[in-house]
Amino acid sequence: MSTDAGTRPQRATLPSARPHVTNSQSGGLATMLRIIGRVQRRSALVWVVVLAASMVGTAAGIAGLYDTPAKIHSYAAAVTAGNALAAINGKVEGIDSLGGVIQDEFGFMAAFLMPLLGISLVTRATRREEESGRLELLLGGRIARHEPVLAALIWASATIGVTAVLFALGLAVYGVPVAGAVLYALSLGALAVVFAALAALMAQLTRHARGVYTGALVVLAAAYVLRGVGDVSGTWITWLSPLGWAEKTAPFGDQRWWALAIPLVVGALLAGVALRLASRRDLGSALVTGGAGPARASGWLRHPVGLAVRIHRPGALGWLAGGAVFMAMMGALARQLADAMAGNPALATALGVGATRPIDGVVATSQLFLAVIATGYAVQAVGTLRAEEAQGRLETRLGGTLSRAHWLGAHTVVVLGGLLLIVVGSSLVLGLTTALSLGDGAEIGRSMDAGLAYLPAEAILAGLALALYGLRPRWFGVAWAGYAVVAFIAFLGPGLNFRQWVLDLAPTTHVGNPPVGATPVMALAVMTAVAVVLVAVAFVTFRRRGIPQG
Amino acid sequence: MNATVPVIRIEALTKVFGSVRALDGLDLLVQPGEVHGFLGPNGAGKSTTIRVLLGLMSATSGRVELFGGDPWHDAPHLHARLAYVAGDVALWPGLTGGQCLDVLGATHARVDEQRRADLVDRFDLDPTKRVRDYSKGNRQKVALIAALAAEAELLVLDEPTSGLDPLMEAAFQQCVRERRDDGVTVLLSSHIMGEVEALADRVSIIRRGRTVTSGTLADLRRHTRTTVHAVTVGDPVGLADSAGVADHQSEQRGELVDSRFTIDADDLDAVIGTLHESGIHTLTVTPPSLDALFLQNYGDQSDDDALADAEARDERLAASR
Repeated sequence: MSTDAGTRPQRATLPSARPHVTNSQSGGLATMLRIIGRVQRRSALVWVVVLAASMVGTAAGIAGLYDTPAKIHSYAAAVTAGNALAAINGKVEGIDSLGGVIQDEFGFMAAFLMPLLGISLVTRATRREEESGRLELLLGGRIARHEPVLAALIWASATIGVTAVLFALGLAVYGVPVAGAVLYALSLGALAVVFAALAALMAQLTRHARGVYTGALVVLAAAYVLRGVGDVSGTWITWLSPLGWAEKTAPFGDQRWWALAIPLVVGALLAGVALRLASRRDLGSALVTGGAGPARASGWLRHPVGLAVRIHRPGALGWLAGGAVFMAMMGALARQLADAMAGNPALATALGVGATRPIDGVVATSQLFLAVIATGYAVQAVGTLRAEEAQGRLETRLGGTLSRAHWLGAHTVVVLGGLLLIVVGSSLVLGLTTALSLGDGAEIGRSMDAGLAYLPAEAILAGLALALYGLRPRWFGVAWAGYAVVAFIAFLGPGLNFRQWVLDLAPTTHVGNPPVGATPVMALAVMTAVAVVLVAVAFVTFRRRGIPQG
Repeated sequence: MNATVPVIRIEALTKVFGSVRALDGLDLLVQPGEVHGFLGPNGAGKSTTIRVLLGLMSATSGRVELFGGDPWHDAPHLHARLAYVAGDVALWPGLTGGQCLDVLGATHARVDEQRRADLVDRFDLDPTKRVRDYSKGNRQKVALIAALAAEAELLVLDEPTSGLDPLMEAAFQQCVRERRDDGVTVLLSSHIMGEVEALADRVSIIRRGRTVTSGTLADLRRHTRTTVHAVTVGDPVGLADSAGVADHQSEQRGELVDSRFTIDADDLDAVIGTLHESGIHTLTVTPPSLDALFLQNYGDQSDDDALADAEARDERLAASR
């Protein structure tokens, strides 16, 4: 996900977008639509391409792999044995069909990517613009106060619409019945719309873009937990969650078209409140504001490491919370999952772990997911260094006695420390909940060892991100692309039966699914060495380049 | 410190970003104890020069010395002797102003705590407010206080008063004078003539990455024309033909003769003699302002405005590349 849309060169192009439209009768809204379109077109395009490619890739893989009714049936039987997997991917009605298998496999990614699509598109166009002062410039012109929000929602809806159309086409091409494909695509689009409208409302309530993300993601986490609890317990609780609304359209089962109305009505209500607030409140104001703080900095904060901790703390705690909640859920369901795997070896295979001890398979799956979470933190945390530089703070920081090596060193230590914190903290939660669930304290150590074994693989991506930052910050998108590959292979690689060389592209593949099987000491050592080399490249290149670079 | 070593010595500096020549043979010499005005329009290369001077960017060619050392290889060591305020002040939004002062102070060799407290008072800064809730002017104040409170031999100030109101600008000028009186050298980059005129001992004017002219304000004024408005009892005979006089206009107003002209500073004495012989009623002599200097250097090439703008844009693009 590129963060380039708001950088200086583009800001410089904004005024040139205005003269075209000042004469038009429709006035402000048309102007805002053009401006947002111009600023957002690249990030919107990236979102659409990545989402459509993920969906089509999943559909292609599954259509190729489960090419007979018998194979689909055995998949369905494996996944539905016990309720455990329903907590992660959702309870898919009509899973005994090609579309159903796709919905199940894509369920976890869709549950996060679709809401994120809506949240990110709207937040970028609303509160972030207001926070930066750019909105003030526009509202000084012929633009009404509510029009930026309306324009942002229109653009987000259009982007979501295009994504949904591509979803439906992609599914239909690979042989999913058209009605089901369309309903499934619409249900995912409606899910994104709800969160877009939620973000528009949050943008009126909090003063900074970060607050919008935090608020919307908390709602998403709650929605995920509610949907999980509802699906596992088989109760009406699922209906409380936006993720549940999408699931309950049952595109490959009973096809409840009317269920699409729930997210659309809720989205319209949220959007209506957001627009009303936007037209009534003062520019720059917010319901939630910060108070006064300390007048002096502690000795710790004055130290480069202390300031780096301060900068990375919110991100690290957020990813840790995500990891811990996920691990707690997996741990709590450990017994059910293990029973399901014991009863049906095909399930273990679909998850990518053929374990002799079913509980090891549960831990292995959970740890692979945690590796994706921890890697995401590492890439995002290194990305904040780019923000420090682009926003001009690095220049001020290096204007004193602090050397480049010390600055980068402090941040590297803190980012790796945060990685360790997330892995150890989440693994501990998994270990404890699994131990409680099974009544076996030894699980704590097993979970911890498995989590730590992934550290070298995670460090490679952190190192790659650092090296790109040192070489040329503009290339940082490559780090996110690398992350996307790792996440895609980890989530879908085993289920889609990728060739070995594709699987081998992801460092996480070489960790060997601990605690299943022996620890590949040699591979871990090699990966550690690669990570060290990448970090060294970062330090050497960062010393030699000009500052600041966007 | 050895007084013969200039604080800043830049000779024939060039800096190329891709296909853009941001600096094209720039010279700058700053002696210990002076306030040196570094003047140029937006995009002339002021900030790029300062970044090279601080070792944030490498020079493409030319010589750059800071305290006699090489800033690209020895930045942190040399930075111990200076304090820097960047052109675009950016601070950490989650920290309070006071915390930022301490964080910035930690990278200075030493901070005078008494002066810090005084400056917070004089600039009327609320140090308990978070940076994200500050106005642009208040963020600017934080950076200025941090630099002025540091025990530095050199202050590098890149357009330091953008965002300050006139009251705070006056406070800033007073503070810079006090630091100069303490023996601190100041490099003051600006495109505001009045500010440089009020503070600077010497000035370097740059345009399109090159030094156009450099010297004391008196030197620079010598090369420009003084405006004279004289009302005399008699007709100052031969005034129009005197050496150095130009733009001469004269008219009879009742009993008196009203004359206006410009003159080279070197010929002023002789002309005043002529006026005196005719009986001076009122006399106004206006020395050239820096505005006039500036316009003289830029104004006669007014097509350059568009060029300078284009350059500014190219430089920004190149810098962010």
